[in-house]
Amino acid sequence: MAEYELDCFGEACPIPLVKAEKELEKMNVGDILIVAIDHSCAMKNVPEWARKQGHNVELDEIDDGEWEVVIEKMK
Amino acid sequence: MSENQAAGSSIQRSSRSRTRPKKKKKNLLPQAAILVVLVAVVGILLARTSALLAVFWITGMAFGFILQRSRFCFTASLRDPSLTGSTTLTRAVLIAFALTSLGFWAIKYGAHLNGLPIPGQSYVVPISLATAVGAFMFGIGMVIAGGCASGTLMRVGEGFIMQVLSLLFFIIGSLWGAHDYGWWKLNFMLDGKAIFMPDIFGWIGAIIVQLLIIGCLFVAAAKWEEKKNS
Repeated sequence: MAEYELDCFGEACPIPLVKAEKELEKMNVGDILIVAIDHSCAMKNVPEWARKQGHNVELDEIDDGEWEVVIEKMK
Repeated sequence: MSENQAAGSSIQRSSRSRTRPKKKKKNLLPQAAILVVLVAVVGILLARTSALLAVFWITGMAFGFILQRSRFCFTASLRDPSLTGSTTLTRAVLIAFALTSLGFWAIKYGAHLNGLPIPGQSYVVPISLATAVGAFMFGIGMVIAGGCASGTLMRVGEGFIMQVLSLLFFIIGSLWGAHDYGWWKLNFMLDGKAIFMPDIFGWIGAIIVQLLIIGCLFVAAAKWEEKKNS
């Protein structure tokens, strides 16, 4: 069970999502992707998208205005 | 946030990322209290000059607050259907359009019934190729900039530095546009027919047609999401 990290600090709304999508494609089922973001829009956007895709998602506010979206690839 | 708690700790993360130091949340209540007092004081000062200014101040604050808390985003409403297949925001925007349509209609129809000049008629401008080209360019711009006008302002307020740059060029572009507006209007915008729907469908017909179109788009958006996620 590998764990990947994606640094998306400073990237505006759709970019973290697109990057996460590409990264998830490369991963195996059961792997975990941690996307670090500081754009409030992506904080809603990325978890919502990943949940709809059927993955396990956790959102963690690591600092004021900085979040980690933890995605466990399910399929 | 209930969303975080609902997800619980279902995902087993490695100890490496778990032990990352977490900064303790600062208590911002004093700052919030000072801000509320400041907003009220400015509101009172504005009201002494003009009551309307105070109304603008309060509605502006309310608009910004709702925008920030609800993550209402015009850019995402048009971008997400093709990017992720989600049309939640698209439908939210359509509901907002339906509500404002009713409001505008009531104001205009009210003025018409009372024999007053109908307000806002100078905004009934021709539809032409310029509308489509302009909309397309605006769409590209707002996706690259990470937000439309309201979204950019809201995120600058949140402290997202990159969009301060967007705001800067948004101001430069607006000023440049305003400077040459007359020329564009004369040469491109008036190159078409202006349509005021009540002239064609009647007052009642206009609002019905408008709401029907919005309703159809709403259903289409819902079906789109269903199709994309199946």
